[in-house]
Amino acid sequence: MLLFVQIVLNGVLLGGLYGLMALGMGLVWGVLNIVNLAHGALIMLGGYAVYYLYAGAGVDPFAALPVAMAGMFCLGWLLQRFLLNAIVRSALLNTLLVTFGLDVVMTYLAQLAFSADLRTINPPYAGNHLDVAGVTVPLAPLAAFAAALLLAAALSAFLAGTRTGRAIRATAQNLTAARLHGVDPKRVYALTFGIGAALAGAAGGLYGVVSQITPYVGVTLTAKSFVIAILGGLDRPLGVIVGGLALGVAETTTAAYLDPTYINVVGFGLLVLVLVSRPSQAFERA
Amino acid sequence: MRGRGLFLALAAALAALAAVPWLGSEALVQYGINALLVATLAQGWNVVGGYAGYASFGNSVFYGLGTYGTAIAMTRFHLPFGAGLAAGAALGVACALLLGPPILRLRGPYFAIATLGLSAAMSALFANLPIAGKNIGLILPLYRGDALFYELSLGLLALATAATWWVSRSRFGAGLVAIRENEDAARVMGVNATLWKVLALALAALSSALAGGIHAYWITFIDPASAFDPTLNVKMVIMAVFGGPGTVLGPVIGSFLLSAVSEVLASRLSSVASLFYGLVVVLAVVFMPRGLVDLGPGLRRRGWRYFAENVRRHRL
Repeated sequence: MLLFVQIVLNGVLLGGLYGLMALGMGLVWGVLNIVNLAHGALIMLGGYAVYYLYAGAGVDPFAALPVAMAGMFCLGWLLQRFLLNAIVRSALLNTLLVTFGLDVVMTYLAQLAFSADLRTINPPYAGNHLDVAGVTVPLAPLAAFAAALLLAAALSAFLAGTRTGRAIRATAQNLTAARLHGVDPKRVYALTFGIGAALAGAAGGLYGVVSQITPYVGVTLTAKSFVIAILGGLDRPLGVIVGGLALGVAETTTAAYLDPTYINVVGFGLLVLVLVSRPSQAFERA
Repeated sequence: MRGRGLFLALAAALAALAAVPWLGSEALVQYGINALLVATLAQGWNVVGGYAGYASFGNSVFYGLGTYGTAIAMTRFHLPFGAGLAAGAALGVACALLLGPPILRLRGPYFAIATLGLSAAMSALFANLPIAGKNIGLILPLYRGDALFYELSLGLLALATAATWWVSRSRFGAGLVAIRENEDAARVMGVNATLWKVLALALAALSSALAGGIHAYWITFIDPASAFDPTLNVKMVIMAVFGGPGTVLGPVIGSFLLSAVSEVLASRLSSVASLFYGLVVVLAVVFMPRGLVDLGPGLRRRGWRYFAENVRRHRL
C-alpha cells in the first residue's frame, strides 16, 4: 500500500510538470490552430537557458525561470511574427511541416551550441526530501510541481480576467468576429505563440531540475504534450494540468507494475480511449 | 509534355534507372535502393495523405509489419523470399483493413496522432513478442546481390506509381479527392467514404509492406527500433509534400531530390546537414505550398511573382 502511494505521488509530481509542458502547446493549438511540432524543442531550449544561467552565472534555477521565460517569449514572438504568420492560413499539413522543420533546425543548432552531453540542473538542495508517514516526498520535484500549478493558475487568470486575455479567447472562438471588434490578429497571434514558448521555457527549466536534458528530448516531449493537450481539452488550462496528472500517474504505475517498455503504449492507449469516448471533440475541431 | 511525350520520357527514365547496377558504383546502387524504397513509401503515403487528405504519421506500421512478416516467415518457417514477401504484405494489408475503420473515423490532427501512436504501440508490441525475437530482433539468411534488390525496389516503385496513376484517373480516386475536399458533402453525393478510405489505406499498406520486406532481406538484420522507425514516418510525409501531394509523380520527384540533397550534404558537411534539411523544408512550405510539381507551371504562368503570391495567399 505504501509503495502504491509512493508510486502515485511520484506520478502526480511528474504529471504536474507534464501538464505545464502541454499548457503552451494546447494554447497555441486552440488559438492559432497550429499543432506545433517544435514545442518540445522550445522546452529543450528553455532547459538549456536555465542550465546555463545556473551553471554559468550561479543563478538559482527557480530564480532563473522568469529570465528564461522572457527570453523564450521573445523567440516565440519573433517566430510567429516573421515566419508562422506567413503560413498560418495554409493547410494543416503545411503548418505541421514548417514546425517540424523548425524542430529539426533548433535541435541541431542546440547540438552545435551545447553539445550532445546529458545535462542536469543540480542545485545543492536537489537531493533533499521530506518523509511524510513513510512516504518520501522529494523537494525539487515538489517545487517544480508547485511552480507548474502556479503558472497554470496565472495563465487561467490572465485569459479570463485581462483585456488581452479576452482578445486571445475571442480570436480562438471566431477570428472574423474578433477582427470586427478591433482585435489585431497579427499582434494576438504573435503574443499567444510567445506565451506558449515562455510556458515551454518554464517547463524546460523545471524538467532540467527533475530529469536530464539533451538536444534530442524535444520529440518525445512534443508527443507527450500533444497527448495531454487532447486529454485535457485545448481551451482549459486547469484541464490540461489534470490531463498531465493522468498521464504522469499512468506512466509511473505502468513502469512499476507492468514494464517500462509499455510507457509509450499506455500514453497513446489513454489517448485513443479519450478519442473514442469523447469523439465529439475530435470531430468538431477537425 | 503531355500524353505520349510524357510516357516516353518516363519509360526512358525508368530504363536509365534500371541500368544503374551495371553502370554505377556499388555505393550508388546501395544509395539507390534506399532512395527507391523511401520513394515507394512516399508514394504509398500519397494515396492516403495526398488524395484522401488523411495525413497519416504512422505508415511505418505497415513498413514494419512487412519487415517482420518477411523476416518471421523466412527465419522461423524457412520459407523462400517470395513467400516471405507475400506474408509480410498480407500482414500489412490485414492490419490496414482491421485498424482502418476505427482510426479513419478520426479527422485532422486527431487522425495524425492516432497513427503516430499506432506505430509506437506496434514497436512496443514487437519488442515483447518471442516469435519476433523481442528486443534483440531477427537475423535473416545472407544474400549478396545488391543488383537484384535494386531492380526489385525499382519495380516496386514503378508498380506503386502505376497504381497511383490508375487511382488518379479512376472513380475511386475521384471519390478520394471528394473526401479530401469535403467529406460530408462526398457522403451526401453517394461516396462510400468509409470503404474507400480503408481501401486507400490498404493500398498504401501493400506497397509499404513490400518495401519493408525487400529492405529486411537486403539489410539482413531487423529490430523493433529500425522496423518501426518513427523518423521514417516524418520522412515520407515530407518527401511527398515537398514534391506535391495528390499528384502522380510529385512524391517520386520530391523524394529523389531530397534523398540526393541529404546524401550530398551528409558527405560534404556532415555536421550541418540536418540543419540545412530543416531549412529546406521550412522554405519549401512557405514559398511553394503546392509542392515541386507546381513550381514549373507556376513559374511559367506568373514568373517570380509566383513565390510572392503563395506567401500572400496563406499569410494572416
